[in-house]
Amino acid sequence: MKTKQEIQLQKNMKRNRRKMKLRNDIDAWILMLPMVIILYLFVWRPTVLGGVWSFFRMKAYSVGEFCGFANYKIVLSHTQFLPMLWNTVQYVLWSIAIGFLPPLVIAIMVNEMVHFKSGFRVLIYLPTVIPGIAAMLMWYFMYYPDNTGLLNMLLAKLGVEPYIWLNDPKFAKLGIVIYSTWKAFPGTMLLYFAALQGVSAELYEAALIDGASSFKRFWNVTRPAIEGLLLLNIVRQIISVFQIMEAPMAMTGGGPNGASTPLSLQLYNYGFNSGGKGTGQAMALGVIIFLILIVFTIFYFWLNRKVEDRH
Amino acid sequence: MKKFRNKQAGILCFSDLKTARGKTLYWFFFAVLCLTCVITVFPAIWTVLTSFKETQEIYEAFSIFPRNLSWDIIVKRISESWQVLQLSDEIVNTIVLSLGNLAFKIVVCGFGGYVLSKLKPTGTKLIFTLVVWTMMMPGQIRMVPNYISWLHFPFASDNPMGANLLDTYWPMWLGAGGDTFAVLLFKNAFDGLSNSYVEAAKLDGCSNYGVFFKIMLPLAMPIIIYESIGVLSGAWSDFFTPLLVLDKNVVVPLRIYRLQGDSSTQMNTYFMALVFASIPPFIIFAVFQKRIMGGINIGGVKG
Repeated sequence: MKTKQEIQLQKNMKRNRRKMKLRNDIDAWILMLPMVIILYLFVWRPTVLGGVWSFFRMKAYSVGEFCGFANYKIVLSHTQFLPMLWNTVQYVLWSIAIGFLPPLVIAIMVNEMVHFKSGFRVLIYLPTVIPGIAAMLMWYFMYYPDNTGLLNMLLAKLGVEPYIWLNDPKFAKLGIVIYSTWKAFPGTMLLYFAALQGVSAELYEAALIDGASSFKRFWNVTRPAIEGLLLLNIVRQIISVFQIMEAPMAMTGGGPNGASTPLSLQLYNYGFNSGGKGTGQAMALGVIIFLILIVFTIFYFWLNRKVEDRH
Repeated sequence: MKKFRNKQAGILCFSDLKTARGKTLYWFFFAVLCLTCVITVFPAIWTVLTSFKETQEIYEAFSIFPRNLSWDIIVKRISESWQVLQLSDEIVNTIVLSLGNLAFKIVVCGFGGYVLSKLKPTGTKLIFTLVVWTMMMPGQIRMVPNYISWLHFPFASDNPMGANLLDTYWPMWLGAGGDTFAVLLFKNAFDGLSNSYVEAAKLDGCSNYGVFFKIMLPLAMPIIIYESIGVLSGAWSDFFTPLLVLDKNVVVPLRIYRLQGDSSTQMNTYFMALVFASIPPFIIFAVFQKRIMGGINIGGVKG
């Protein structure tokens, strides 16, 4: 049997706890409020509105009347839509083809070094330090079609005729991907490097005692430790390269003849380079890009959970 | 080769390095890394060297090294280009922009990440799910709606009450605050700090705010510094949002972008502009080199 006093005490404690919880909630929400407001104003609301307004006729930057799928029709029936989609896919494929392995290989090599290890790291990291726009224009001049460009200078030294580089519709995308790989791989390399350093040396020693060769040690000790990170990174790379815009914008302007225009750059042109006529189409194209990427996003989260579960 | 003896066991080990095969492999790695360094560093060196050339020389000589290079020429080229480019206003503007970005990122994303990680009020789950999902969403879909809301802040349609944010730094500052990736980065950092700090401080009568400012914030300093480096150098690199927003009071990256269409600028001055634009991030890098290279593992984002 509980006495009256004990019951009263329990009630008080419960009330106190509820009070504490309320106090905690209020404090927490006050601290979180700026984030929620800004995310609402500049991330969540525009995402929803972008979807909704893609069905409206826009007058420059104000909303007109509902027009169904008219904007989508204009975007999809643009003669260059499929070529631009293919351009975007090519950007992704090229960047995976030439940009996926180098950071991993370099990270592994740096990790094995005993000479000049930190020197290598700093020198290789350099492209990441140069601001994006300066690096883009630097490469623009390296690719310069006459002999003032660095690459043609080197070709001339070898006695080869100058090449037009970015003016060649076949090379333009690859050229941009080479630049962006140069710019981005050191950051990824550092990420892998950190993961490699997390692999305990004891594991390697144990493998060594078992007589495992270098390759076996790589395959059975190194690989499992970084596999998850690699998979996540490849999906992240697909998602981010699919949205490539600034590099083509600054390096080729989408040319020659639209040969290096990705969907995102077309969206920018609709939205800000069409004299206000294409804002509706810009949002429709945004939704199309969104629908394509949502597949990869869902895959990314699924993968992320798998990787987390394993560790 | 004394150094080999101290080598930690890895894909290559001390015992491998005694064999010819192991040695070859090691020095092959070394050569590949040297080559990589050439690839990463050479474009930058070429840019600097070209900026020291005379314009005439760029169009005629086609050589990588300037014909004549002396301390006097370098000083002359730098001062000449500076006179032509007049970047001082832009540099001040960029510093203002980057400091604003930093304040917004730390206050908005840092506080948000802390609340999501430690205080977890009612509604956390919903907010967290929204943050995670919007992190991976393409920004393109928001581009035009965001522009419209800058024209009529805080409304999203042409409401006459709204303020026009064009030609101010607010769009960039607010954008820096709305970085869901940073929110998750901070949340993960706070997740790594033990809850017992919070409980102990609370038992001692510390308020929620006290716990945050006196205990959690100092403990989270590494991640804050890491994020700050990114934000401060990012402002020297981002030209896209400024391109949409700024007309007067431009920042350095936008000025550089606009130089491309400006045929009145001499080639060597142009290259010098690229060099000038890279100096501030290099200073930031030099100061925080150890922190950056330490590499905080931000690989997997916990969803």
